[in-house]
Amino acid sequence: MNLSVILIAAEDPTQSHHWLFPEIGEIIYGGLASIVIFTALYKFGWPAAAKALAARTAKIQKELDDSAAARQQADADAVNIRKALGDVAGERTRLLADADAQAAAILSEGRARITAEVAELEARAATETQAARSRIGDELRAEIARLSAAATTDTVRAALDDRTQQELVDGFIAKVGASR
Amino acid sequence: MTTQQVNAYVSAMFDIASANDAVAVVEDEMFRLARAFESNEGLRSSLSDATLPIDRRQKIVEQLLGGKANNVTVQLASLLVGTGHIALLPQVADALVKRASSEKQLEVAEVRSAIELSDAQKARLAEALSKATGKKLNLKVVVDPNVIGGLVATVGDEVIDDTVRTRLDQVKSRF
Repeated sequence: MNLSVILIAAEDPTQSHHWLFPEIGEIIYGGLASIVIFTALYKFGWPAAAKALAARTAKIQKELDDSAAARQQADADAVNIRKALGDVAGERTRLLADADAQAAAILSEGRARITAEVAELEARAATETQAARSRIGDELRAEIARLSAAATTDTVRAALDDRTQQELVDGFIAKVGASR
Repeated sequence: MTTQQVNAYVSAMFDIASANDAVAVVEDEMFRLARAFESNEGLRSSLSDATLPIDRRQKIVEQLLGGKANNVTVQLASLLVGTGHIALLPQVADALVKRASSEKQLEVAEVRSAIELSDAQKARLAEALSKATGKKLNLKVVVDPNVIGGLVATVGDEVIDDTVRTRLDQVKSRF
Protein backbone atom coordinates (compact mmCIF):
# COMPACT_ATOMS: atom_id res chain seq x y z
CA MET A 1 0.00 0.00 0.00
CA ASN A 2 1.05 3.28 -0.82
CA LEU A 3 1.04 6.30 1.44
CA SER A 4 -2.05 8.02 -0.06
CA VAL A 5 -4.19 4.88 0.34
CA ILE A 6 -3.08 4.61 3.92
CA LEU A 7 -3.80 8.33 4.57
CA ILE A 8 -7.24 8.08 2.92
CA ALA A 9 -7.99 4.83 4.77
CA ALA A 10 -7.10 6.50 8.07
CA GLU A 11 -9.34 9.49 7.41
CA ASP A 12 -11.99 9.91 10.05
CA PRO A 13 -15.31 11.08 8.63
CA THR A 14 -16.13 12.77 11.97
CA GLN A 15 -13.23 15.00 11.75
CA SER A 16 -13.59 18.41 9.96
CA HIS A 17 -10.24 18.05 8.30
CA HIS A 18 -7.44 15.60 7.86
CA TRP A 19 -5.33 14.90 10.98
CA LEU A 20 -2.15 15.50 8.99
CA PHE A 21 -2.92 18.08 6.41
CA PRO A 22 -3.92 21.67 7.51
CA GLU A 23 -6.88 23.50 6.33
CA ILE A 24 -6.52 25.42 3.08
CA GLY A 25 -7.01 28.67 4.92
CA GLU A 26 -4.26 27.81 7.31
CA ILE A 27 -2.03 27.05 4.40
CA ILE A 28 -2.87 30.34 2.75
CA TYR A 29 -2.49 32.44 5.85
CA GLY A 30 0.43 30.51 6.97
CA GLY A 31 2.05 30.93 3.59
CA LEU A 32 1.34 34.62 3.53
CA ALA A 33 2.61 35.00 7.04
CA SER A 34 5.71 33.07 6.08
CA ILE A 35 6.18 35.31 3.03
CA VAL A 36 5.78 38.40 5.20
CA ILE A 37 8.18 37.06 7.77
CA PHE A 38 10.76 35.98 5.20
CA THR A 39 10.37 39.28 3.37
CA ALA A 40 10.86 41.18 6.61
CA LEU A 41 13.80 38.97 7.48
CA TYR A 42 15.24 39.54 4.02
CA LYS A 43 14.67 43.27 4.18
CA PHE A 44 15.68 43.96 7.76
CA GLY A 45 17.69 40.99 9.00
CA TRP A 46 19.79 40.16 5.96
CA PRO A 47 21.65 43.50 5.75
CA ALA A 48 22.56 43.26 9.43
CA ALA A 49 23.58 39.64 8.99
CA ALA A 50 25.52 40.50 5.82
CA LYS A 51 27.13 43.42 7.60
CA ALA A 52 28.03 41.21 10.55
CA LEU A 53 29.41 38.59 8.18
CA ALA A 54 31.35 41.27 6.32
CA ALA A 55 32.66 42.66 9.60
CA ARG A 56 33.62 39.20 10.72
CA THR A 57 35.20 38.53 7.37
CA ALA A 58 37.11 41.82 7.67
CA LYS A 59 38.09 40.96 11.20
CA ILE A 60 39.27 37.52 10.18
CA GLN A 61 41.05 39.03 7.22
CA LYS A 62 42.64 41.60 9.50
CA GLU A 63 43.69 38.88 11.87
CA LEU A 64 45.08 36.94 8.96
CA ASP A 65 46.89 40.06 7.76
CA ASP A 66 48.18 40.73 11.27
CA SER A 67 49.29 37.17 11.55
CA ALA A 68 51.02 37.46 8.19
CA ALA A 69 52.63 40.72 9.26
CA ALA A 70 53.61 39.18 12.60
CA ARG A 71 55.06 36.23 10.84
CA GLN A 72 56.88 38.50 8.44
CA GLN A 73 58.19 40.50 11.42
CA ALA A 74 59.13 37.29 13.15
CA ASP A 75 60.92 36.13 10.01
CA ALA A 76 62.71 39.51 9.84
CA ASP A 77 63.56 39.27 13.52
CA ALA A 78 64.78 35.75 13.00
CA VAL A 79 66.92 36.97 10.14
CA ASN A 80 68.24 39.80 12.33
CA ILE A 81 68.87 37.41 15.19
CA ARG A 82 70.63 35.01 12.88
CA LYS A 83 72.61 37.91 11.49
CA ALA A 84 73.35 39.16 14.98
CA LEU A 85 74.40 35.68 15.99
CA GLY A 86 76.61 35.63 12.95
CA ASP A 87 78.07 39.01 13.96
CA VAL A 88 78.64 37.79 17.51
CA ALA A 89 80.41 34.75 16.20
CA GLY A 90 82.48 36.95 13.89
CA GLU A 91 83.26 39.37 16.71
CA ARG A 92 84.16 36.48 18.96
CA THR A 93 86.43 35.09 16.28
CA ARG A 94 87.95 38.53 15.73
CA LEU A 95 88.44 39.10 19.46
CA LEU A 96 89.98 35.68 19.85
CA ALA A 97 92.26 36.39 16.92
CA ASP A 98 93.21 39.77 18.42
CA ALA A 99 93.81 38.15 21.79
CA ASP A 100 95.94 35.47 20.17
CA ALA A 101 97.89 38.13 18.29
CA GLN A 102 98.39 40.22 21.42
CA ALA A 103 99.38 37.17 23.43
CA ALA A 104 101.86 36.21 20.73
CA ALA A 105 103.22 39.77 20.67
CA ILE A 106 103.50 39.93 24.47
CA LEU A 107 105.14 36.52 24.52
CA SER A 108 107.57 37.53 21.83
CA GLU A 109 108.28 40.85 23.50
CA GLY A 110 108.67 39.16 26.87
CA ARG A 111 111.04 36.60 25.43
CA ALA A 112 113.06 39.34 23.78
CA ARG A 113 113.12 41.41 26.99
CA ILE A 114 114.05 38.44 29.14
CA THR A 115 116.74 37.45 26.67
CA ALA A 116 118.10 41.02 26.76
CA GLU A 117 117.92 41.12 30.56
CA VAL A 118 119.63 37.77 30.86
CA ALA A 119 122.33 38.97 28.49
CA GLU A 120 122.69 42.20 30.47
CA LEU A 121 122.82 40.29 33.77
CA GLU A 122 125.39 37.91 32.36
CA ALA A 123 127.47 40.84 31.12
CA ARG A 124 127.14 42.63 34.45
CA ALA A 125 127.96 39.46 36.34
CA ALA A 126 131.00 38.95 34.14
CA THR A 127 132.07 42.56 34.71
CA GLU A 128 131.48 42.34 38.44
CA THR A 129 133.28 39.02 38.61
CA GLN A 130 136.19 40.52 36.75
CA ALA A 131 136.12 43.60 38.99
CA ALA A 132 135.86 41.45 42.11
CA ARG A 133 138.70 39.28 40.88
CA SER A 134 140.78 42.36 40.20
CA ARG A 135 139.79 43.94 43.53
CA ILE A 136 140.50 40.77 45.46
CA GLY A 137 143.82 40.52 43.64
CA ASP A 138 144.63 44.12 44.56
CA GLU A 139 143.53 43.60 48.14
CA LEU A 140 145.54 40.42 48.33
CA ARG A 141 148.59 42.14 46.92
CA ALA A 142 148.09 45.06 49.31
CA GLU A 143 147.66 42.68 52.25
CA ILE A 144 150.75 40.72 51.23
CA ALA A 145 152.64 43.99 50.87
CA ARG A 146 151.39 45.16 54.27
CA LEU A 147 152.28 41.88 55.94
CA SER A 148 155.60 41.78 54.15
CA ALA A 149 156.32 45.36 55.15
CA ALA A 150 155.29 44.66 58.73
CA ALA A 151 157.40 41.52 58.79
CA THR A 152 160.28 43.37 57.19
CA THR A 153 159.93 46.25 59.67
CA ASP A 154 159.86 43.86 62.61
CA THR A 155 162.82 41.93 61.23
CA VAL A 156 164.82 45.07 60.59
CA ARG A 157 163.90 46.56 63.96
CA ALA A 158 165.02 43.36 65.67
CA ALA A 159 168.24 43.36 63.68
CA LEU A 160 169.06 46.96 64.64
CA ASP A 161 171.15 46.58 67.75
CA ASP A 162 172.77 49.53 69.49
CA ARG A 163 175.98 49.19 67.57
CA THR A 164 174.14 49.26 64.24
CA GLN A 165 172.09 52.25 65.41
CA GLN A 166 175.29 54.10 66.28
CA GLU A 167 176.75 53.21 62.91
CA LEU A 168 173.68 54.55 61.16
CA VAL A 169 173.92 57.84 63.09
CA ASP A 170 177.62 58.18 62.46
CA GLY A 171 177.10 57.23 58.83
CA PHE A 172 174.49 59.97 58.48
CA ILE A 173 176.77 62.56 60.07
CA ALA A 174 179.64 61.55 57.86
CA LYS A 175 177.51 61.56 54.74
CA VAL A 176 175.99 64.98 55.50
CA GLY A 177 179.35 66.39 56.45
CA ALA A 178 180.84 65.16 53.21
CA SER A 179 178.02 66.44 51.07
CA ARG A 180 179.60 69.85 50.59
CA MET B 1 142.85 83.51 67.02
CA THR B 2 145.18 80.56 67.67
CA THR B 3 148.10 82.28 65.94
CA GLN B 4 147.51 85.40 67.99
CA GLN B 5 147.38 83.35 71.17
CA VAL B 6 150.56 81.49 70.24
CA ASN B 7 152.37 84.74 69.44
CA ALA B 8 151.20 86.26 72.72
CA TYR B 9 152.42 83.29 74.73
CA VAL B 10 155.75 83.19 72.86
CA SER B 11 156.32 86.88 73.37
CA ALA B 12 155.54 86.64 77.07
CA MET B 13 157.62 83.47 77.57
CA PHE B 14 160.56 84.90 75.69
CA ASP B 15 160.48 88.06 77.81
CA ILE B 16 160.22 86.05 81.04
CA ALA B 17 163.03 83.71 79.98
CA SER B 18 165.16 86.68 78.93
CA ALA B 19 164.52 88.41 82.23
CA ASN B 20 165.74 85.25 83.97
CA ASP B 21 168.65 84.92 81.54
CA ALA B 22 167.45 81.42 80.66
CA VAL B 23 166.27 81.66 77.08
CA ALA B 24 168.44 78.84 75.76
CA VAL B 25 167.54 76.47 78.56
CA VAL B 26 163.85 77.32 78.57
CA GLU B 27 163.36 77.03 74.81
CA ASP B 28 165.18 73.70 74.79
CA GLU B 29 163.17 72.32 77.69
CA MET B 30 159.91 73.61 76.25
CA PHE B 31 160.84 71.98 72.96
CA ARG B 32 161.46 68.61 74.62
CA LEU B 33 158.35 68.91 76.72
CA ALA B 34 156.34 69.62 73.57
CA ARG B 35 157.72 66.52 71.85
CA ALA B 36 156.90 64.42 74.91
CA PHE B 37 153.43 65.94 74.94
CA GLU B 38 152.99 65.00 71.25
CA SER B 39 154.25 61.45 71.58
CA ASN B 40 152.77 60.51 74.95
CA GLU B 41 149.03 59.95 74.74
CA GLY B 42 148.69 59.52 78.50
CA LEU B 43 150.44 62.80 79.24
CA ARG B 44 148.43 64.59 76.58
CA SER B 45 145.09 63.33 77.84
CA SER B 46 145.98 64.00 81.49
CA LEU B 47 147.03 67.60 80.89
CA SER B 48 144.08 68.23 78.55
CA ASP B 49 141.47 66.56 80.75
CA ALA B 50 139.05 69.33 81.67
CA THR B 51 137.43 67.11 84.30
CA LEU B 52 140.65 67.22 86.34
CA PRO B 53 141.08 70.34 88.48
CA ILE B 54 143.61 72.78 87.10
CA ASP B 55 145.81 72.66 90.19
CA ARG B 56 145.92 68.88 89.86
CA ARG B 57 147.08 69.16 86.27
CA GLN B 58 149.62 71.79 87.19
CA LYS B 59 150.86 69.41 89.87
CA ILE B 60 151.45 66.80 87.17
CA VAL B 61 153.61 69.28 85.26
CA GLU B 62 155.55 70.16 88.37
CA GLN B 63 156.08 66.49 89.23
CA LEU B 64 157.13 65.76 85.66
CA LEU B 65 159.63 68.60 85.37
CA GLY B 66 160.44 69.35 88.99
CA GLY B 67 164.13 69.01 89.71
CA LYS B 68 164.89 68.27 86.05
CA ALA B 69 163.91 71.51 84.38
CA ASN B 70 164.46 75.17 84.95
CA ASN B 71 161.89 76.71 87.27
CA VAL B 72 160.89 79.18 84.56
CA THR B 73 160.07 76.29 82.24
CA VAL B 74 157.93 74.67 84.91
CA GLN B 75 156.07 77.91 85.55
CA LEU B 76 155.48 78.57 81.84
CA ALA B 77 154.20 75.06 81.27
CA SER B 78 151.94 75.45 84.32
CA LEU B 79 150.73 78.72 82.85
CA LEU B 80 149.55 76.93 79.70
CA VAL B 81 147.78 74.31 81.79
CA GLY B 82 146.23 76.96 84.02
CA THR B 83 144.85 78.97 81.12
CA GLY B 84 143.46 75.83 79.49
CA HIS B 85 145.74 76.21 76.46
CA ILE B 86 148.02 73.23 76.96
CA ALA B 87 146.97 71.98 73.52
CA LEU B 88 148.96 74.90 72.11
CA LEU B 89 152.16 73.63 73.73
CA PRO B 90 153.76 72.18 70.56
CA GLN B 91 153.07 75.31 68.55
CA VAL B 92 154.18 77.59 71.37
CA ALA B 93 157.38 75.61 71.96
CA ASP B 94 158.26 75.53 68.25
CA ALA B 95 157.60 79.25 67.91
CA LEU B 96 159.65 79.94 71.04
CA VAL B 97 162.56 77.93 69.66
CA LYS B 98 162.30 79.81 66.39
CA ARG B 99 162.16 83.16 68.16
CA ALA B 100 165.14 82.32 70.36
CA SER B 101 167.09 81.03 67.35
CA SER B 102 166.35 84.09 65.25
CA GLU B 103 167.55 86.29 68.11
CA LYS B 104 170.92 84.56 67.77
CA GLN B 105 170.81 84.53 63.95
CA LEU B 106 170.36 80.76 63.98
CA GLU B 107 168.23 78.47 61.91
CA VAL B 108 166.38 75.66 63.69
CA ALA B 109 167.49 72.18 62.66
CA GLU B 110 165.14 69.49 63.88
CA VAL B 111 166.66 66.05 63.82
CA ARG B 112 164.71 62.90 64.52
CA SER B 113 166.58 59.86 65.70
CA ALA B 114 165.63 56.40 66.86
CA ILE B 115 168.11 56.60 69.69
CA GLU B 116 169.38 59.26 72.04
CA LEU B 117 172.44 61.03 70.62
CA SER B 118 175.51 61.72 72.68
CA ASP B 119 176.72 65.28 73.09
CA ALA B 120 179.65 64.48 70.82
CA GLN B 121 177.31 63.16 68.15
CA LYS B 122 175.11 66.26 68.46
CA ALA B 123 178.14 68.50 68.06
CA ARG B 124 179.38 66.62 65.01
CA LEU B 125 175.87 66.53 63.60
CA ALA B 126 175.39 70.27 64.08
CA GLU B 127 178.72 70.91 62.42
CA ALA B 128 177.92 68.60 59.51
CA LEU B 129 174.49 70.12 58.99
CA SER B 130 175.89 73.64 59.16
CA LYS B 131 178.46 72.68 56.60
CA ALA B 132 175.86 71.06 54.38
CA THR B 133 173.33 73.89 54.55
CA GLY B 134 175.69 76.80 54.94
CA LYS B 135 173.71 78.04 57.93
CA LYS B 136 174.38 78.46 61.61
CA LEU B 137 172.05 76.08 63.35
CA ASN B 138 170.21 75.58 66.59
CA LEU B 139 170.06 71.78 66.72
CA LYS B 140 167.04 70.13 68.23
CA VAL B 141 167.12 66.36 68.50
CA VAL B 142 163.89 64.43 68.94
CA VAL B 143 163.96 60.75 69.84
CA ASP B 144 161.36 59.15 67.62
CA PRO B 145 161.08 55.32 67.61
CA ASN B 146 159.11 55.50 64.36
CA VAL B 147 162.32 56.39 62.59
CA ILE B 148 163.53 52.82 63.41
CA GLY B 149 167.12 53.70 62.58
CA GLY B 150 169.24 56.50 61.11
CA LEU B 151 168.36 60.18 61.14
CA VAL B 152 166.17 62.70 59.38
CA ALA B 153 167.08 66.37 59.60
CA THR B 154 164.81 69.27 58.71
CA VAL B 155 166.36 72.68 58.23
CA GLY B 156 163.81 75.16 57.02
CA ASP B 157 162.33 73.63 53.89
CA GLU B 158 165.24 71.28 53.38
CA VAL B 159 164.91 67.67 54.52
CA ILE B 160 167.82 65.25 54.69
CA ASP B 161 166.38 61.80 55.21
CA ASP B 162 168.46 58.70 55.74
CA THR B 163 166.18 56.72 58.01
CA VAL B 164 165.43 53.03 57.98
CA ARG B 165 161.74 53.96 58.03
CA THR B 166 162.03 55.78 54.72
CA ARG B 167 164.01 52.95 53.16
CA LEU B 168 161.41 50.45 54.29
CA ASP B 169 158.67 52.68 52.87
CA GLN B 170 160.51 52.71 49.57
CA VAL B 171 160.76 48.92 49.61
CA LYS B 172 157.12 48.70 50.59
CA SER B 173 156.08 50.87 47.67
CA ARG B 174 157.71 48.39 45.31
CA PHE B 175 155.43 45.54 46.46
